[in-house]
Amino acid sequence: MSPVLLATSKTEAQQQKAIPAKSSSSGPEKFTVVNPKGTPPPIQLIPMAPRLDTLNGKTVYLVDTGFHGSDVLLHQIEAWFGRNMPGVTVVFRRKAGPYMEDDPNLWKEIKAKGNAVIMAVGH
Amino acid sequence: MGIPSAPLVTKAFKDLALLNAAKRGMPHERICFTPHPVWGKTPEEVRAYVDGPDPVTGKPLMKEVVDALTVPLSDDDKKGGVVAVSTGPATYTDAADNLQELYLNNGYTDFLPIILPTEEKVDAMMKGTSRKPDETVGKMAAGAYPPWSYTVRQVAASAVMAGCRPEYFPIVLAIASSGVASLFSSTNSFAFAMVINGPIRDKLEFNYGIGALGPFAQPNATIGRAWTLMSKNLGNGGIPGDTYLGSLGNNLNYNNVVIAEHEDASPWVPFHVQRGFKKEDNVVSLFRGLGVVPGQVARGSSANENVQFDYQMSDLFSTFTGFFGALIIADPLVAARLKEQGYNTKEKLIDWLYRNTTQTVKDYKSRNYAYLFDYPRALRGDEPWASWYKMPDDAVIPHFPHASDINIVVAGGQTNAYPQAGNLSYGVSVSIDKWM
Repeated sequence: MSPVLLATSKTEAQQQKAIPAKSSSSGPEKFTVVNPKGTPPPIQLIPMAPRLDTLNGKTVYLVDTGFHGSDVLLHQIEAWFGRNMPGVTVVFRRKAGPYMEDDPNLWKEIKAKGNAVIMAVGH
Repeated sequence: MGIPSAPLVTKAFKDLALLNAAKRGMPHERICFTPHPVWGKTPEEVRAYVDGPDPVTGKPLMKEVVDALTVPLSDDDKKGGVVAVSTGPATYTDAADNLQELYLNNGYTDFLPIILPTEEKVDAMMKGTSRKPDETVGKMAAGAYPPWSYTVRQVAASAVMAGCRPEYFPIVLAIASSGVASLFSSTNSFAFAMVINGPIRDKLEFNYGIGALGPFAQPNATIGRAWTLMSKNLGNGGIPGDTYLGSLGNNLNYNNVVIAEHEDASPWVPFHVQRGFKKEDNVVSLFRGLGVVPGQVARGSSANENVQFDYQMSDLFSTFTGFFGALIIADPLVAARLKEQGYNTKEKLIDWLYRNTTQTVKDYKSRNYAYLFDYPRALRGDEPWASWYKMPDDAVIPHFPHASDINIVVAGGQTNAYPQAGNLSYGVSVSIDKWM
């Protein structure tokens, strides 16, 4: 992915091209102006966690972030596993605190007892 | 965590989710999408989502979810390291019309014409402070993204663009140093406000008289606008679909609510003194919330000689979300009347408003913010929400969690006795003098 795209929106990245100057000795006066953008931090790439060979016999945590409807969606997914992949153990958890707050205790529990996570953000 | 995960996001937030994952270092995160919205749907309707396709890829949703957790990683998925990010050259050189177009197209502006930040004008702006051009001022984040940093020179560019004079620059720097962006990523279309206190109000000729909140003075107009331009440029906020998701947007975002307190006409201590500053200090205080409503809509007419502004204000609060607080902007006539009624301090009025602006638990629980923010806090045992959620539906509780959620400032030209009230929470007060 282009660093410019990472810095800004797709639209902005596509548009972030200097316009060719309409310069000539008799053309309009040119000015040098300061780029007003701040300085983004470099992006530290995070290697993705190894995948499982199968979900059968594994424990999958369904994590509700608290947005409206997330719980309804995840309970339907829980039911889908019951119908289609009964060998999967499914554990539903609502993340503690409002959606924007971290829940380190839940992450600790999942790391200790779970094999995979499905996290749902409704709206 | 080291555990495979499959995030599920509704289709409306596709770009946001993909960009967020990339900017946070996982550009190949396996995000799966459901139709939008999920809220308000019956379990049967949501089951159809689960049994149906991912609306982005067209593939069966649950196959995608299972694949996200089980298909082996590619070499790209396993990549670590650091990626540098560029925002373009430090300067651009071109004709004025071309540069206006460039700044417009690059999203540097609020889509109104700007003063071009030529090197000469930026240098002149920086004469408004003793700070060095390359000194780091602070960090600002666009929503949940990692924050960007910025220097005095980068702040000066936005100040020039907004039309600020160099003598306004310490206020702009003070705002920038707070790291508070006036454009927020929430779908709720937030509004922002600032209160200016201290002798600088007169020195710079802020308007705090007739039309105090209107477009009638250069510092009120341009410093407010600079905040929004800084939020776009220094923090990379305000990109619809990426760093800005407000469904309707907010017209106040053009230059925010700028309030210079009318300290001399107020019967109470100025706002910054309430926050521990000295009266002679110059301070900017920042607020965020949803907007401002006029007192005229409240029950209780100011034509009535027995008008009770305390009841009017309480009535205004009744539609406010308790997620944010309240900021009363009282015309000096209103403030004088309240003092006659016995409110000889702001604190006394705030205490009355806190105790007398109430709601039933049933009404409270029906509010959107209560479910989204307060209920999770209640589950965690945080007060007062945990107690509120244990009460019967007909129990009466305060509208705001704490008395400190209510604030009052005085401004206006005394042509009529009207208050306005913002559903706005106090955030932080910053010394302007430190940036002179």
